Amino acid sequence: MKILNCPLNGPRNIQEFVWGGEVTEMPDPNRCTVAEWGDYVFLENNTRGVIREWWCHAATNYWFIAERDTSTDEILKTYPAGEVFTVRTDFEVPEEDSKG
Amino acid sequence: MTTSHRLPEPFGLYIDRSRTLGFDFEGRHYSGLAGDSLGSALAANGVKMVSRSFKYHRPRGFLTFAGLDCNSYVQFGDEPNVQADRLVLTDGLSASALNVSGSLENDRDAYLGHFSRFLPVGFYYKTFFRPKGAWAYWEKIIRRKAGLGNVDKKTPHGYYDKAYLFADVCVIGGGPAGLSAALEAGKTGAEVILIDEEARLGGSLNYAFGAGGQERASKLAAELAKFDNVTVLNPALCTGWFADNWLAVIQGNRLYKLRAKQVVLASGSVEQPMVFRNNDLPGVILGSAVQRMIRLYGVRPGSRAVVCTGNDHGYRVAQDLRDAGVEVVAITDLRNEEAKCVEAGALAAQGLRILSGHTVYEAIPERGKRGISGAVIDSITGEGEVSGSGETLACDLIVTSVGYAPLAQLMCHCGGRMKYSDALHAFELDERPKDAFFAGSVDNGFDLEAALAEGAQSGWSAAKTAGAKVGKEPAKPGAKGAEGINYPWPIFPHPEGKDFVDFDEDQTVKDVINAVADGFEDVELMKRYTTVGMGPSQGRNSALNSVRLTNKANGRGVSGSTTTTQRPPFKPESFGHLAGRSFDPERLTAMHHRHVEAGAQMMLAGAWYRPAYYGRKADRLACIEAEARNVRNNVGMIDVSTLGGLEVRGPDAAEFMNRMYTWAYKKQKVGRARYLLMSDQTGAVVDDGVACRFSEQEFYVTATTGGVDGVYRAMLRWNAEWRLKVDVANVTGAYAGFNIAGPNSRKVLEKLDCDMDLTAEGFPYMGVREGRIAGIPVRLLRVGFVGELGYEIHMPASCGEALWDLVMEAGAEFGIKPFGVEAQRLLRLEKGHIIIGQDTDGLTTPAEADMLWAVGKKKPFFIGKRSLDIMAEARPLERKLVGFTLPGDSPVPEECVLVIKGDRIVGRVTSAARSEACGGIVGMAYVAPEDAVPGKSFNIKLEDGAYIYATVASIPFYDPDGKRQEL
Amino acid sequence: MQATELLRRSFCYRRLDALGASYAEVNGGALAQDFGDTKAEAKAARTLGLAELSVLPRTGFKGEGTPEWLSGQGVALPEQSNWARRQDGGGLAARLAPNELLILDSESGEGKLVAKLNGAWAGESRPPETPRGFPVPRQDSHAWFLVSGEKAAAMFAKLCAVDLRPHKFEDLQIAQTSVARLSAVVIRNDLGGTLAYHLLFDSASATYFWDVLIDAMEEFSGRPVGAAAVKSLIG
Repeated sequence: MKILNCPLNGPRNIQEFVWGGEVTEMPDPNRCTVAEWGDYVFLENNTRGVIREWWCHAATNYWFIAERDTSTDEILKTYPAGEVFTVRTDFEVPEEDSKG
Repeated sequence: MTTSHRLPEPFGLYIDRSRTLGFDFEGRHYSGLAGDSLGSALAANGVKMVSRSFKYHRPRGFLTFAGLDCNSYVQFGDEPNVQADRLVLTDGLSASALNVSGSLENDRDAYLGHFSRFLPVGFYYKTFFRPKGAWAYWEKIIRRKAGLGNVDKKTPHGYYDKAYLFADVCVIGGGPAGLSAALEAGKTGAEVILIDEEARLGGSLNYAFGAGGQERASKLAAELAKFDNVTVLNPALCTGWFADNWLAVIQGNRLYKLRAKQVVLASGSVEQPMVFRNNDLPGVILGSAVQRMIRLYGVRPGSRAVVCTGNDHGYRVAQDLRDAGVEVVAITDLRNEEAKCVEAGALAAQGLRILSGHTVYEAIPERGKRGISGAVIDSITGEGEVSGSGETLACDLIVTSVGYAPLAQLMCHCGGRMKYSDALHAFELDERPKDAFFAGSVDNGFDLEAALAEGAQSGWSAAKTAGAKVGKEPAKPGAKGAEGINYPWPIFPHPEGKDFVDFDEDQTVKDVINAVADGFEDVELMKRYTTVGMGPSQGRNSALNSVRLTNKANGRGVSGSTTTTQRPPFKPESFGHLAGRSFDPERLTAMHHRHVEAGAQMMLAGAWYRPAYYGRKADRLACIEAEARNVRNNVGMIDVSTLGGLEVRGPDAAEFMNRMYTWAYKKQKVGRARYLLMSDQTGAVVDDGVACRFSEQEFYVTATTGGVDGVYRAMLRWNAEWRLKVDVANVTGAYAGFNIAGPNSRKVLEKLDCDMDLTAEGFPYMGVREGRIAGIPVRLLRVGFVGELGYEIHMPASCGEALWDLVMEAGAEFGIKPFGVEAQRLLRLEKGHIIIGQDTDGLTTPAEADMLWAVGKKKPFFIGKRSLDIMAEARPLERKLVGFTLPGDSPVPEECVLVIKGDRIVGRVTSAARSEACGGIVGMAYVAPEDAVPGKSFNIKLEDGAYIYATVASIPFYDPDGKRQEL
Repeated sequence: MQATELLRRSFCYRRLDALGASYAEVNGGALAQDFGDTKAEAKAARTLGLAELSVLPRTGFKGEGTPEWLSGQGVALPEQSNWARRQDGGGLAARLAPNELLILDSESGEGKLVAKLNGAWAGESRPPETPRGFPVPRQDSHAWFLVSGEKAAAMFAKLCAVDLRPHKFEDLQIAQTSVARLSAVVIRNDLGGTLAYHLLFDSASATYFWDVLIDAMEEFSGRPVGAAAVKSLIG
C-alpha cells in the first residue's frame, strides 16, 4: 500500500485518504461561455505527467494538495491548500437576491 | 521407533527420535517422529506416491520437498490442498490424497492418462462449447473429475486475525544470505524483522553443505538471537510485496501487514526439473529435495539411484546419496566435459560410473506406475536430442540437478522483472524495485562465501538507507559462482509424450509447442491457452522450461525473454487469512436499546441502526398504519439522531450557506429555520435539510443520514479554495434527536420542565430555540417532516436515552407511541415531502423535482447554479415529479416501476403507499412535463406487466394548507 | 447506584452493567469505579486494561482565534499540531490542528478546567470583536476510552496501522487515524510511568469499539478496569 504524506498528520497509508480530483480553476461562472463551463464541470484533463490533486485525510477531514506523476504514480510532494489558494474568492454580484 | 527408510544420526536435523507420533494416510496407520512433516514421515515409511495429478490422475510423489510444488498436496481433515512436505506431523494426524476416485492406490480415473492424446491443449475450448449449451452439460461432469480437494461447508469458522508490523529492515529468507543480512543490519541497531518459512533458520546451510553447513547455520542463528532489535518471524511466509514496501506475511492464523523502510530479498531459488518421458512419476526427484530428505529428516529417499546432472551440484547430491546408503548406479552428466569439482574426482576414484554427455531420456514405470523401476540413459547428440541407442538401468530413484530459478516472484509483485540471461541460461533480476536489496541465490549468487558476503553487504546498506548509524562497510563479496549452474537445455522430448513441463496442470512439451502453432506465440498467451504456470505452484517449477520451449517454437529465441507476470500471493492463502477478523463499525443511537426493548424491527442506514417499525414482522403493514394513525390523532415520537448535524459559524457563515445551498440565507432571521437544498456542480440535487440560525454568525445545519459526511467534506473542500471566514464542524454524533409529532405534542412538552415559551405565538412554526428540558440543554426546532404540530428536540447524545424516557413518561396520558422510519415515510408522502435519493436520482434538478421555490434566483453563485442556468435556457424539462392518486382497489405500485407514454418511458414511480389519512393510494412519480397538471392521467406499467392509470394530484395530499403543522 | 439514575450516561453502559460495574457520580453521569476486583484491575491497568471514561468532562474549540483565546484563559498550549500538553491542576490540551484544540479534564474528573472554559466562552457576549473560535461538543460527539499497560502497543498493532509503540510514538504525541476502521484520536498520556493511551472516537460506535477492544485484548489477558484502577496508576 502506498504511503501519502499528509501535511497535518504525516506519512500514512493511502487507505486513510480520499481522492478529491484534480486541482482546477473555476472559470468565472457568470461570465464564462457554456463550453468553458461544461469543460470545467465534466471534462478531465487526463494529463500524463505531474498534476496537482486534492486529497482529504479522512480521519481529520483535512484537505490538502498533492503533486503526483500520473505515469509513475509517484507522489512528489504534498502541501496545505493555502499555499495555492491564498486569497478570498468572491463572486461578482449582478444584484443581491431580494430575499437573500 | 525407526522404520526401514530412517537414517541414523547425524542425519535428521529436524527430527526428535525420542518422540514417536502415530498418523493415518489414506486409511492406513503409520508412525513418524516429532519434527517430521507429513511428507517426511510418509517417505520414512517408504511411501512414494502421495497424490494423483489434476488432469490425468497420474501418480505423483515428492518433487521439491520444500512445499514449492503441488505434487504433494493432500486433504487434511476439512482443509484441501495442504502441502504434505510442509504439514507439521502431529500425533493422530489424518490425511488423504487429492484427485482420486476410490483410493490413491486404485484410482478409478487413472484410465484418464490413456486418453491424454485425445486431450490436446485447448481441448476444452475446442470440444465442449459446441453445440451451444453443450458446456452446461459437460461442465458438471468435468468439474467433478477435476478440481483440487473437497471443501466441507459445515467447517466451523476458525479465529483468524490481522496485525501490523513495522521494521527498518525486513529480510525475507533465513538462509545463509538472509541470516548474514539480518545480522549485519542488526548490528547497526536498526529494527530488523527476518522472515523464514522453516521452523529452523539456515536454509540451504542445513541440507546442502553437510555437517559444516549446519554448524554455520546454528552459529549465525545464535549470534542473531543476541540482538533485541532483531525479530525472527518463523515459520512464516511472505506472500505479497506491495507499493512502498508493504508486505503480507502469514504466520499461523494471523496475517501481518508489515511496513518496512528497506527490504532485503534473500528468498533463494528453486531447483528446476528436467523434462523427459515419465519425469513426473514418484521416484523422479530434484537433487535439493533428496538432500532435504537426508539431512533434515534423516530419510533415505530410495535404494538405487541414477543421478542426472548438468552442474557440479549433482556430484554433491550423489555423494550425499552414497553417505545415506543409497546405491548410485550411475551419474549422467549432460555436459560433454568432465566435471572438475572435488566431489566428482572423489566419486570417480571410488569407481562410480560417470557418463559425460549423457542424459536420462526416460523413466521406466514400475508395475502400477506407483514408482519407477528403471531409467533409460542415452548419449546426447544435439539440443534435446539423443542417439536412440539407450541403455536401461534398474533403479527406484532418478535424481536431477540441472539448475535453478530465482524465487523472485515477490519482487515482481511490486514492479520488478526477471529476464533470461544467455550467459547463465537462467532468469536473472532485471528491473528491481526501489528501497530493496538482493542477496544469495535469488540473485544467482551460488557461491556460499559470496552469498554470505552479499547478505552482509545488503543488510548493512539497507540499514544505512533506512537511517541507521552504521559501522564500517563489510567486505565486498567475491565471485557469485553463477556460471555453469544452469544447463542450457535440460529438455528431452519423447515421441510418445508424457514429458511433462508443468506438473500442476499436466502439460507436456507437445502442449506448449502446439499452443505456439495455434498462434499463441507469446509466453503470456501460451500460459493462458495451455494453463502452464497457472496451477498452485504458479510456474515456480515450469516457467523456465516453458519459456525456453515457447521461445524456441516461436523462433524468437529465449535471449532476454521475461517470465509471465507474477501476481500475489506467492503461495495460496486461505480464505480465513483474507476474511478473518474484519472490522465493520456499527453506530447505535442513544435510544437504540429503547427501540429494541419496544420490539422494533431495526434496519441499517449506512452504519446506523434505525427502527423500521415496532412489532412483529408478520404485522408489518398494520404496525406502520397504527403508528401513522397515532401521529395524526395523538402524538408519536421518532428517533432522528442519525440525521446529520453541522455547525456553520463565523462572520461569513451566511455567505457560505448561500454558496453551498440553492436558497438564500443572508436575511434569514435569527431563531428561525429554513429549508435547505443542495445541488452539485452539474445541478443535480444531492442533499437537503434545514438551516437553523441561532445567531448572526451561527447556523446549525441538518443533513441527510447518508449525506452528511459528504456534505461536510464538500464544505471543507470548497472553503479550502474560497477562504471565507467560516468554521464548519460535524456534530452529527454529538446530538441525539427525536421528533415529537401530533396534535398532542405541545401538551407533552408542557408537562415537562421546559424553560421555553411553547405557545403558538411565542414559538411559531419554523421557529428554533435553545433552552432546557428537565435540565438537559436542548435545541428545539419547530419543523415537521410529517405535517403535524411537532418539535424536533436535539440533545447531547449522552442524555438522549434519559430524555426519551422522560418524554415517553410525560406523553403516556396523551397516547404517545414511538414510530419508525416506515411510518415516517408514509406520513411525509402524505405531505408530499421528497426524500433525497428516493424521489430524486443522480440527475434530478430542482426544476424536475418541482422545487424551484427553494432556488435563489438572484444570487451570484451557488454550487450548480451555472449548470442549472444553462440547462434552463438550453432545453425544456424532460420530466417532472408530481403527486398522483390511484383508485382504492388498485395494487400499490412498487417503487421504480415505469411511467409509460405511448412507446416511451417517460419516468418512474418513486414512492407509493396506501394512506388511511388520504383515503386511498398516494404516490409520487416522474411524468412528462406536459402531463404534470393536476387532474391529468398517466400510465404506470406494473411489475407484472399490467398497466394502470394514475391521476396527477396536487400535493400535499394531506392538509394542503399546512394548518395542522402550524397550530 | 445505577447508571440509569442519572441523565448523562456512558455510551455503552450496558456493557459495564453486564460486568457488574460499581458506579460513582462524576460530572452528572455514572463513572464505573470498578468491576468487583480492584486488585486484579489495578494489576491489569499496568499490563493491559480498558477503562470507559466517557462521562468525564471534555470539550473542544476550533476556528480562527482559538489558540489565542485559550491562551488568554490560561491554557498552556502545545506548540505543534498532533501534540498534547499537560495542564497544571490536571487535564490535557490536545492540539488537533493549528486552530483546533481538544481539552480533556483530569482522569479523576476533578480538574474543573472544562467547566471553566465552557463557562467563559458562553459568558462572553457574541459576536466578539476579535475571533475566538467556537466550541465543539466533544463531550458528546466523542466517547472516551483509556487503554493502559505495557501490552497496549502490541494490542493496538492488531487494530491500527500507525506505529504506536512507545519508542516510536512519544508521550503526549497524538495520532488522528483509523482504529478498527473507526476514525479516532489516539493520545499517548502515560500515567505514573505506565504506558497509556486516550482514545476518542464517534460516541455512537462505543459499543462496537468496546467489543473490538475486548476481543483484541484477550490474547494479552487484558481486561476492563474501573476508574479506581486508572487512579491507582497516578498514585
